[in-house]
Amino acid sequence: MPAAVLEQTINGLMSGSVYVLVALGMVLIYGVMHVLNFAHGVLFMLGGYVCHFFFTRVTGSYALSVLLSMGVLALVGIALERGVFRPLHGNLRNQVIASLGLILVIENLVVAVWGPNALQMKVPATEQLVPLGALRFPLQHLLVILVTFAVVAALFLFLKFSKPGTAIRAASQDRLAAMVVGIPVERIDWTTFALGTALAALGGALIGPLFLVFPLMGDAPMVKGLAGILLGGMGSVPGAVIGGLLIGVVESLSTLVLPTDYRDSVAFVVMVLILLARPQGIFGVRVRGED
Amino acid sequence: MLRVLAALLSLLPAFALAQEKVTVGIVTSLSGPMAAPGKFQMNGFRLAEEEINSAGGFALGGRKYLVDLKAYDTRANPAEGASAMQRLATVDKAPVVLGELHSGVAAAEAPIARDYGVPLVLTIPTGPGLTEQGNPFLFRVNANNDQLTQALADFVARQGWTPLAFIAWNNDAGRGGVNGMKKLLGESKIGYIGYFNVGEVDFASHVSNIRAGSARAVMLLMDEEPGSLAIRQIRDAGLKTQLIGTLAMGSDRFLKRLDADRLEGMVQYNAFPPNAAVPRIRAFSDRYRKKYGEEAHGFAAQSYDGLMLAVAAMQRAGTVTDGRKIRDALAAIEHDGVIGRIRFDSKGQAHPPVYVTQWCANGSRRILFPESLKADCGGG
Amino acid sequence: MRKALLLVATVLLYALPSLAAGTPYLIHVLVLCCVYAIPAVGLNLMLGYAGLVSLGHMAFAGIGAYAAAVLMVDAKLGFWAALALGVAAAGASGAAIGAVCLRFRSHFFMIVTLAFGLMLYSVMNNWDDVTRGAQGFPGIPRPAPLGSLSFGPLQNFYYLALTAALAAFAVQWRVVRSDYGRTLMALRQDERLAAARGVNAMLYKTSVFALGSAIAGLGGILHVSFLRVAAPATFNLSESINAVLIVVVGGAGSLAGPALGALVFVGLPEYLRVANEWRLVVFGALLVLLVLFAPRGLAGLIPSGKK
Repeated sequence: MPAAVLEQTINGLMSGSVYVLVALGMVLIYGVMHVLNFAHGVLFMLGGYVCHFFFTRVTGSYALSVLLSMGVLALVGIALERGVFRPLHGNLRNQVIASLGLILVIENLVVAVWGPNALQMKVPATEQLVPLGALRFPLQHLLVILVTFAVVAALFLFLKFSKPGTAIRAASQDRLAAMVVGIPVERIDWTTFALGTALAALGGALIGPLFLVFPLMGDAPMVKGLAGILLGGMGSVPGAVIGGLLIGVVESLSTLVLPTDYRDSVAFVVMVLILLARPQGIFGVRVRGED
Repeated sequence: MLRVLAALLSLLPAFALAQEKVTVGIVTSLSGPMAAPGKFQMNGFRLAEEEINSAGGFALGGRKYLVDLKAYDTRANPAEGASAMQRLATVDKAPVVLGELHSGVAAAEAPIARDYGVPLVLTIPTGPGLTEQGNPFLFRVNANNDQLTQALADFVARQGWTPLAFIAWNNDAGRGGVNGMKKLLGESKIGYIGYFNVGEVDFASHVSNIRAGSARAVMLLMDEEPGSLAIRQIRDAGLKTQLIGTLAMGSDRFLKRLDADRLEGMVQYNAFPPNAAVPRIRAFSDRYRKKYGEEAHGFAAQSYDGLMLAVAAMQRAGTVTDGRKIRDALAAIEHDGVIGRIRFDSKGQAHPPVYVTQWCANGSRRILFPESLKADCGGG
Repeated sequence: MRKALLLVATVLLYALPSLAAGTPYLIHVLVLCCVYAIPAVGLNLMLGYAGLVSLGHMAFAGIGAYAAAVLMVDAKLGFWAALALGVAAAGASGAAIGAVCLRFRSHFFMIVTLAFGLMLYSVMNNWDDVTRGAQGFPGIPRPAPLGSLSFGPLQNFYYLALTAALAAFAVQWRVVRSDYGRTLMALRQDERLAAARGVNAMLYKTSVFALGSAIAGLGGILHVSFLRVAAPATFNLSESINAVLIVVVGGAGSLAGPALGALVFVGLPEYLRVANEWRLVVFGALLVLLVLFAPRGLAGLIPSGKK
C-alpha cells in the first residue's frame, strides 16, 4: 500500500506541474494587475498550435519554435491588454465577461483554421524514458518540471532584485503611489501581460509533444491551475506552485480510495475546505478591502 | 474565347435538366468536444452524397433527384439538437433526418421527429435507452452499447481475460460501455475503473493503479486521440497486459499515432474492419481513401449507410416529401450496407455484425470474430 | 406610457402563435428564450442587484430539473407537484451551498461557485442509478393538462413558458422595488457601510442566492419538460457561463436585461446557424465588443426614464 501511495504522489506531482505551468502566467497577471484572465487556458492552447506550426512548417528546430511561439503570443498579449483589458480597468465583472468572450473567439477560431483533430508534435530528442523509482517518465515531462522551476526562480529573482521587477511590485501594491513616484504603470501593464501570455505559450509548447496539441488542451488545466492559485493565495507565485502541485497530488491519491469519476470533485472539495479554514490561501496575504 | 465557350457549355446540363433536389437533414457536432468524431460522420455523409449526385441523383417515379445535405451543428447540447431538429422539420422541410453523435441530444431530437412525422435515423449514438421509448420515428443503424458489449463480453469471457480493468471517458459512450460490461460479465469479473473527462490526457494515476491490481486485460473506452496517449503511457510504464479498444482503434490512422510495437496484440471491437476481404467493405475503403486520403473510419461507414438507406427508403416509399410513408418504408426495408445487412427490428434498432479485430506485429490486423469472417493478418 | 407599451407587448406575445401560424420553429425558439430567460432572472437578482457573480448557476437549475424528473418518472408524482418540490429543492440547495460560497468574496467567490457547479455536474453525470447518468434521462413528460389545456402541442407549451417567464419577471420587479431589494443594492455598493447601519449582510446575500437558485430551478424544470429529456450537458459549466453572459449582455441590474440577453443568446446563434463553424467566433467577438462599448448591456442602450 505505501508503495502505491508513493507512486501516486509522484504521479500527482508530475500532473500537477502541468497545472502550475498553465497557472504561472495567470498568477503573474493577476498579481500585478488584479485581472483574472479566464482566457489564459485558450492562450496556452494557442501557444501550442503556434509552436506546432513553426515546428512543422517553418523550422525543424523545437527550441526555436518554442521561442517564436512565445514571441507571437507576447504580441497577442499586448494587443489584448491594450484593446480589451486596459479599457475595462477596475471593472472586475466586465473583465471576466470579456475574457469569456475571448475564449469563444480563440477556441473556435483555432477549430475553424486547424480543424478539430489533435496534432502530433514529435520531438525525438525528448521522447526517451527516464526511470524514477518504479515509474518511468518521458524526458519531455521532466523538461516541463525543470523549465517550470527555472521560470519560477527567474521570476522571483527578477521581481525581487531587478529595477523593473521592483517597479512591477510597486505598481501592484499601490498603483497611485507608483504613478506619483514616476513609475510608468501603463507600460508595466502591457509588458506584464505580454510576459504572462508568453508564459502561456511556453506552457502549451512544452505540453504539446507530451500530450498532443488539440483545442481543449487548455480547458481542464486552466480550471485546475485556477484552483491551485486560489489554494496557494492569489497573486503569490510560490503559492501557485504549491497549490497546483497539491491539487495534482490530491487527485492522484484519491484514485486509490474513491470512485474515479469523482476525481476532480475531490480536488475541489479539498480546495474549499482549506479555504474555509484559511480564506486567503496558503501563502496569501489578507488585503484590506479585498476580504 | 475557347475557355469562355467551355465554361458556358459546362453550365448547359444545369439548365437543361433543372435538377430536383431533396433536402436531407443532418444533425452532428461540427464544433465543441465531439467535433473530431463529428468530422468522420460528415465524411461518410458527404461521400454518399457525392456518389449519388455524380450519377445524376437517385431515380424515383421517372425523375432524378439530387441529394442536398443540410447539416446543423448540435454541439452535444440537447437544446441545440432540439432546435436543429425543429428547424429541419418545419423550416427546411426535410423528409428525413440523419446522424447525431450524442445519446442525450438524440433523446431530445427523437420526440420532435415524432411530433412532425419526420423519421430520424441515428448513425452513431449508442445509448440503449434511445430505442426503448416506443418512438416509431426513431431508427438506429449502428449497434447500441448492449450489442457492442455483448459481442465483446462473450469474447473476453472465452479468452479468460478477467478481471477486466477500464480506462474510460466519463461521458455517455465511456460510462455506457463500462455499465454494459458490468452487466454482462458480472461485478466479480470487473477490476479497476478509471474514468477521465473528455480533454484530459494524463493517465498516469490510472496506469499505476492498474499495474498494482490483478487485471488480466484493460479496456480503453475512448476515441483514438486519448487512446493513442493511453496506450503509449501504458506501454511506457512497462505494463504488458492485454489491451482491448474501441472501434476507433482499429485503423491505420491510429497506427500512425503510435507504432506497431506498442499495438501488437491489442484487440478491438469493430463495426467496420477497413481491409476485410469482403467486397462491399473493400470498395468503400477504396472510395473513402480516394476522396479523403486516409483510411476509412467506422463512423463514416455507418453514416454512409445511413444516407444510402434513407434514399433507398424514399425510393421504396415512392415519395420525397411524405415523412410518414418514408418511415413505413424504413420499418420494412432490408438494405445491404457497407457495415452489413441493415434491417430494423420492432424498436427501430438494426443488428449489424460486430467484429473483433486484433493488431499483428507487422502493423496489419486480423479478424478474430465472427467465426464466419475470420481473417489473417492483413485482412482486418 | 411604459406600462401601456408593456401591456401591448404582452398581448402580442400571447397572440404570436395565432399571428405566425405557419412557423412552429419561431415558437420553438421563443420557448427556448423563455426557458433561458428564467434562470437569467434568478442570476440577475444575484449578480445584477446583489453583485454576486456566480459561475455555477445552472447547476441549481439542474437540481430542480432532476429532482422533478425523478419525482415524475420514478415516484409517479404529477407534474405540478413535482414542479413545486423541484423548485423548493433548488432553493434549499441554493441556501445551503450559497452559505458556504458566501464565506468568500469577489474572485474567490466566483471560483468557489465554479467549483460547486462542477461538483454538482459530476453528480448529475455519474449517479447512474438516480439521474440515469451521462446518457440522459429520457421520457420526461410534458406538464399534465390543466382542465382542457394539454401541453403536448408546442403552442400550448409556449403559453405556459411565457406565463412562467412573466411570473419570474414579476417576482424580479417586486423584489427590486421592495426594501429587501434596495438593501441588496446597498450591499452591492458598499457592504461595510450597510453593515455599519445594522444590515445582516450574510442573511441578505444567502437569501438572494436561495431565491435566485429557486428561480433557476423553475427554468430547469420547464427546460427538461420541453425537451422531454434531462441531460447533464444542459447544466454544465458552459451553460453556467452562458447564463452570466445572458445577464450581462442583456444588462445586469436592469429589469429587462434577462429578456434581452436571452433573445440575443438563443436567437442569434439560431439565426447564425447558416455559418456553422464561424458563428461562435462571431458571437464571442460581439460579446467582447459589447462589453467594451456598451458596458450596461443592451438594456443600457435603450433610452429610458427610470431604471
